[in-house]
Amino acid sequence: MNQNEFTQLVLPFKDKLYRMAKRLLVSSEEAEDAVQEVFLKLWKGKQSIKNYKNPEAFAMTMTKNYCLDRLKSKQASNLKIVHSNYQNNENVQRTVELNDGVSMVFKIMETLPSTQRMVLQLRDVEQFEFHEISEMLDINETAIRVNLSRARKTVREELLKQYNYGIS
Amino acid sequence: MELANIEKLLDAYFEGETSLTEEALLRDYFTSGNVAPHLQGYIPMFEGFSEAKEERLEKEITILQPKKNTSFRSWSIAASVVVLLGISSFWYFNNNAKGLTAEQEEALMAYNEAKQTMLLLSESLNKGASKVSYIDEFIQNTATINIINQFNETKNKILK
Repeated sequence: MNQNEFTQLVLPFKDKLYRMAKRLLVSSEEAEDAVQEVFLKLWKGKQSIKNYKNPEAFAMTMTKNYCLDRLKSKQASNLKIVHSNYQNNENVQRTVELNDGVSMVFKIMETLPSTQRMVLQLRDVEQFEFHEISEMLDINETAIRVNLSRARKTVREELLKQYNYGIS
Repeated sequence: MELANIEKLLDAYFEGETSLTEEALLRDYFTSGNVAPHLQGYIPMFEGFSEAKEERLEKEITILQPKKNTSFRSWSIAASVVVLLGISSFWYFNNNAKGLTAEQEEALMAYNEAKQTMLLLSESLNKGASKVSYIDEFIQNTATINIINQFNETKNKILK
């Protein structure tokens, strides 16, 4: 496989990988690094990527694993991922553009446990089928539904709390 | 879409039991700007998910760079192998009497040794031969003595 073919195969889902990484790592820089790293790994193992029937799911699994490892090592060294997203002008503008409710949703998502976060990201943002998510995260569909339901309910509760608070 | 239907879908949604098409219906409804007042609290949720999908990776992903690196590395490895091979073969041929194999080398050595021995042998043979020349002289001398004897005999005859 040459570089062109590889790019053709891999680039269509680079944004999805990035969004997943960012959902987990929060920091956009960390997420960029994660995608870069995953692509490098994919490129190095480009012979085997064809053997996987679904390269996108394969790449997503790699991203997930990379990010969870990152989080784990950060936790182990007792460091929190410091995200400097707000220093980015573009991001400041974006947050301003977004209405309060939407940025609230993002904040609530950051508080979810990582599995719920991933499931919510893959289902409600990226709209993958359950069997695809199951392949990506290596958990069965029932567990996915449970996690998804919990995540959605948490977002709803927190959101309605804020919403009612705003009204009253 | 009917409100009752939306509410039913919404309940199923929070139980994690909606299909992708049903979720698409919900998304469409909540982002349509025409939401029943008591459901408006859900709008940010669906807007948020749609918004989250808009995020793009701005940074250029460089698969090219490491590829260049590896090709550069492999080239440098190939080049150094060639150089090393050149040097070592040069050294080898220079050191090793003009490219003889070990066997030829051995044969040459044996030949030289044999030559040396033959030379030594012939030298001592020549020494022996030089001694033989003394005998020649002796024989000549005895011949002269014989002539002298003859001369004496004849002289004696004459003197008698």
